[in-house]
Amino acid sequence: MNIEEKIKELEERNRLAELGGGKARIDDQHAKGKMTARERIEYLLDKGSFQEIDKFVVHRCHDFGMGKKKIPGDGVVTGFGTIHGRRVFLFSQDFTVFGGSLSGPFGEKVCKIMDLALKNGAPMIGLNDSGGARIQEGIVSLGSYGEIFKRNVLASGVIPQISVIMGPCAGGAVYSPALTDFTIMVKKTSNMFITGPQVIKAVTSEEVSPEQLGGAMTHNTRSGVAQFAEDSDQAALERVKEILSYLPQNYREKPPVAECTDDPNRTDKSLNKVVPTNPKLPYDIKDIIHNVLDDGRFLEIHRHYAMNMVIGFGRLNGYPVGVVANQPRFLAGCLDINASMKCARFVRLCDCFNIPLVTFVDVPGFLPGVNQEYGGIIKHGAKIIYAYCEATVPKITVITRKAYGGAYDVMSSKHHGGDINYAYPTAEIAVMGPEGAVNIVFKKEIDTAEDKVGTRNRLIEEYRSNFASPFKAAELGYIDGIIFPENTRPRLIDALMMLKDKKDSIPSRRHGNIPL
Amino acid sequence: MSEITAPMGGKVIDVKVKVGDSINDGDEVLILEAMKMELPVVATDSGSVKEIKCKKGDAVEADSVLIVLG
Repeated sequence: MNIEEKIKELEERNRLAELGGGKARIDDQHAKGKMTARERIEYLLDKGSFQEIDKFVVHRCHDFGMGKKKIPGDGVVTGFGTIHGRRVFLFSQDFTVFGGSLSGPFGEKVCKIMDLALKNGAPMIGLNDSGGARIQEGIVSLGSYGEIFKRNVLASGVIPQISVIMGPCAGGAVYSPALTDFTIMVKKTSNMFITGPQVIKAVTSEEVSPEQLGGAMTHNTRSGVAQFAEDSDQAALERVKEILSYLPQNYREKPPVAECTDDPNRTDKSLNKVVPTNPKLPYDIKDIIHNVLDDGRFLEIHRHYAMNMVIGFGRLNGYPVGVVANQPRFLAGCLDINASMKCARFVRLCDCFNIPLVTFVDVPGFLPGVNQEYGGIIKHGAKIIYAYCEATVPKITVITRKAYGGAYDVMSSKHHGGDINYAYPTAEIAVMGPEGAVNIVFKKEIDTAEDKVGTRNRLIEEYRSNFASPFKAAELGYIDGIIFPENTRPRLIDALMMLKDKKDSIPSRRHGNIPL
Repeated sequence: MSEITAPMGGKVIDVKVKVGDSINDGDEVLILEAMKMELPVVATDSGSVKEIKCKKGDAVEADSVLIVLG
């Protein structure tokens, strides 16, 4: 064979490999509203930047007649490229090849690319669309999954890891996404569960559809396993790019600063009216968040889960920040089990990747209830404390209204390492609400008074004006200053710029023991 | 058919809909007083109000059904 013939052979092999499981299966994929593995890569990465590796890898199984059925690539496309000019590594599971099922070589390909990502300090993106373990491979597939999970863990907090669920993801396969930093799901065409509807029906007689059991909204609302639910493959891939724009390449780098076209000194008098004068009325904390961030842009994360807690990324003066906020509109802004977990994980993620934290506080306390107590709110609430105290990134806190009891402490208080803690004039920072406090402290006076109701009401009003305010905290230095709401943005930016090069550390140890 | 349940225990202080009303996802259907705040309870589904299982002044438990949509 001469060189031209060899080149022709290579081109032909490339073309065949790129067809995966063949045109009929590609058409099937499209008919379901799904892109193919390669189309997803093409859409996600900068044009022409994709370098594929292991394109011709095939499986080595001889059992069950598999020896006759080899498809180059063996069900996963792996390689590297760029997104907005920044290096990323990825795998894209190919549902057209043996249902995207995982074999020994498939796993080896994924591990190879994960190893490259880790050594080169760049984000790892997984596009999941797979029937799970390839049964014909036997326990080799289990070994492969194990090797992948180990690498997810070793890379955790070193490089950002993002999982996109774009089809089935069942059985052991779900653990890889669970170990990564973000899980994005596509509505209706993707699902995740350990045991599927058929097995559940056989064992427990419960009937449930795949979408109900493990679809995008189930995991975004009930289990909290996924943080995003997108309408299409394309939207999910856009979401990956958006998330990456706030993250550094690895833990040694600071997050990328963008050009800021929004005046850092922008004040807004309308902020003075966001917190209602009537303390009984809720408001939307996102009104404040959207107002102060650059261009009002806020990437809310885990939007549908524990809606009494708001988390997400934004920018101040071009610098990425992680925003945490109690949401008075839901559960009165109380902290509960789910909100605690949502908050703590996000705070730790920001600390992993050098992203400063901005926390808005309006919390009346922890949600009372037997379910919360039996569910272990004690240990879940402790997670928030652990996360904030451990974090050494810049921490800026603004108390907009309520900060009562233990909840005052846990929400990024000065005592837990808050670098700059501000409060609005409407802040109520106290050990307890006036009614509860008066009942305890003035029990004798009320019980022995002639006019019990009148005395109680008077004492409540006195307590409210003396203690349900920011001034006691300001006198103690527990807050650094009381700010006018209209100045929130400039004050946050001043603090953030001052803290830009903060260096802090915690005592060394193998690793702490966060209550799990 | 779907149900609007109480997000937390509290007291119903205002019911904003009546049987037969057509409501959309996100509409405020009643106000619950809890943790000393007046909290809007919003619909998470669209539909028409089939049954209202509470009235102003009722004390309700968390997760109890307040309104049934058809």
